[in-house]
Amino acid sequence: MAFLLRRLCFYLAAFVAAATINFFLPRLMPGDPVQIMFSSAGAELPPESLQALKLTFGFVDGPLWQQYLTYLGSIFSGDLGRSIKYFPLEVTTVLGNALVWTVGLMGTATIISFTLGTFLGILAAWRRGSLFDVIVSVGAIFATSVPAVVTSLIVVFFFGFTLNWFPTGYAADPALDPAFTLEYIGSVLYHGILPMLTLCTVLTGGFAVTMRNNMINLLGEDYIVMARAKGLSDGHVMLWYAARNALLPTVSSLAIAIGTILGGSLVTEVVFNYPGLGNILYQAILARDYPVIQGQLLIMTATMLVANFIVDVSYVLLDPRLKRA
Amino acid sequence: MKSQPFGLIRNRKALVGVAIIAFILIVAIAAPLLTPYDPGARVGRPHQAPSLAHWLGTTRIGQDVFTRLIYGARTSLAVGFGAGLLITIVGTALGILAGYRGGKVDEVISFFTNMVLVVPNLPLLLVLAAFIGQASPWVIALILGATSWAWGARVTRAETLSVKQKDYVKSAEMMGEPRWRIMTFEIFPNLISIVGINFIGSVIFAIITQATLEFLGLGDPKVVSWGTMLYAAQKASALSVGAWWDILTPCFALAFLGIGLSLLNFAVDEIANPRLRTGNRLGRWSALIRSGEGRL
Repeated sequence: MAFLLRRLCFYLAAFVAAATINFFLPRLMPGDPVQIMFSSAGAELPPESLQALKLTFGFVDGPLWQQYLTYLGSIFSGDLGRSIKYFPLEVTTVLGNALVWTVGLMGTATIISFTLGTFLGILAAWRRGSLFDVIVSVGAIFATSVPAVVTSLIVVFFFGFTLNWFPTGYAADPALDPAFTLEYIGSVLYHGILPMLTLCTVLTGGFAVTMRNNMINLLGEDYIVMARAKGLSDGHVMLWYAARNALLPTVSSLAIAIGTILGGSLVTEVVFNYPGLGNILYQAILARDYPVIQGQLLIMTATMLVANFIVDVSYVLLDPRLKRA
Repeated sequence: MKSQPFGLIRNRKALVGVAIIAFILIVAIAAPLLTPYDPGARVGRPHQAPSLAHWLGTTRIGQDVFTRLIYGARTSLAVGFGAGLLITIVGTALGILAGYRGGKVDEVISFFTNMVLVVPNLPLLLVLAAFIGQASPWVIALILGATSWAWGARVTRAETLSVKQKDYVKSAEMMGEPRWRIMTFEIFPNLISIVGINFIGSVIFAIITQATLEFLGLGDPKVVSWGTMLYAAQKASALSVGAWWDILTPCFALAFLGIGLSLLNFAVDEIANPRLRTGNRLGRWSALIRSGEGRL
C-alpha cells in the first residue's frame, strides 16, 4: 500500500510538471503570445475567443504566481480552455471524443502484441538457437527498428491502396450511425484491422525480445533443473516454472513501453485518418490550435500515468514480496 | 577493450550494420556528384513515375525524388548523430554524477529523471516544436537533446553504482584523487559499452523522432530531409493518386538506416559483454532498470 501511495504522489508531481511546462511555454514567446496565436490560427475568429484564449493560458490580471495558481486550478477542475479551430468547443470535449478511439486502438493493440510477443519470446527462449528462435530474434530487430510512421505507410500502401482489402480511413463507415448494432460494430472492427496490424507489428518484437531474454536468464536456475528432475512435462516446466517468473520484469518493461505505444498510435492514426487523438492533434498542428496541442500533452500524460499505475498495481499483484513491504 | 575493433569485424551483425551506415553516409556526402539536379528545383512534370531521367520519379511539384533522397540523407544523418551525441552527453554526465555522488545529488537527479520518463516524449516534443514554430533541423536536435536524456541517465546511474564499488575506485579515493577525476578517468572508461549502446540507441531515436515531427508538419518545409519528404508526399496525397515512389522512397530509406543502426547496436553490446553473446541485451537492460527502481 505504501508503495502504491508513493507512486501516486510521484505521478501527481509529474502531472504538475507537465502543466508547468504548458504554463511557461507561451510566456517564453516573444511579444504578445495570445495575439500571435490568435493571428497564426488564420481562421476567422469571433473577438470573444481572444478573451477565452487568454483565460486558457492563465493570462489573468495579477502577479505570475497568481496566474500560475489560477492556471493549475482550472486544469485540475478539468477546464483546458477552448479550441481555436473548433471554437467554441471546449478542448476537453474535442479531445475526450477522440480519446475513446485512441484508448480502444492502443489498448487492444497492446494486449494483442503483449500476449503474442510474450508467447513468441517463451517459445524462442525454450528452443534457443533453433530456426524459430533466429526468425523471432531477427524479425524483432527489424520490426522494432523501423519507425511507426514508415510501417503505417507501407501497410496502408499494400493492404489499403494496392490490394484494396481494407479501408484506408475513418474508424467506421461514415454512412452508419454510431449504435450498438452488429453492423456498426463489424464496421468498426473492419476499419480497425489495418491500424491494429501496424501497431502490433511495431510493438510485438520488443515484447518478444524482452520475454525471450528474461526467460534465458532464468533457464539456468536450480529450480528449473529441479522441476525437470522431478519428471514434470516440458510444457509444464516452460509455462509454470520459467515463464511465470520471467513475466515479472516483462511487465515492468511494459510500463516503459507505454510512451512508445502512445507515440506509435499517434502516428498510425494520422496515416490511417483514424479519428483518435493523433488525428485531432495533427489537424491542430496544421491549424496552430495551441490550446488543443497543449491539452493533448496533459491528457497524454494523464493516460500514461494511469497506465503506469495499472502496471504498478499488477506488479504488486504478481509479486507477493511487494504486498508485504 | 583492445580486441574490440577485431571483434567488430568478425561479428556479422556489426559488419552488415556498418556497411549500411557507411553506404548511406557515402551517398550523402557524394550527393552533388550523383545527381545533376538541385533538390529544391522543379525539374520535371509533377508526379512522373520512375524513369531513366528521374530514377525515383518526381514529386507533386516536379522535384526529383532521388535527388531529394540523397540530399535529405545529409539532414537526417546530421540531426541523428548530433542529437544522439547531445542526448548521450547529458544522460551520461547526469547518470555518473547521480550514481557516484549519491545522497541529495542523486535524489534530485533521479527524481527529475523519473519525472521525464513518465511524461510521454512525443506529445511533449510536439508541444515544444509547436511553440517554436517551423523548427529547423538543428532546433529539433536541440530539443531532442533537452528532453530525451532520461533513459540513458537511468541506465548509466545503475551501472555507475556497481562500478563505484570496485577496488580501483576505492584506491583512487584513498589516494585523494578529486571527484571529477574519478568520475572522468576511473568510472567513465568502464562504462564505455553502455555509453556506446546509449549513443547508438539515441541516434536511432533521434532519426525516427525527427522524421515523425517533420511528418506531422512541425518541421521547416523548406529543409530537405526524409521527414519533410514524407510530409510533402502525405500532404499531396501521394498514395491515393498512385504516386507510390514519392512516399515509399523516404520510407524505405528510414527503414534501411534504422535496421543498420540496430544491427550495430546489438553487435556492440555482444562484443563489449561476451557473456551476452546469446543476445541478452534487453534482459540486461531490464535488470539495470530494476536495480534503479523502487526509489523516486
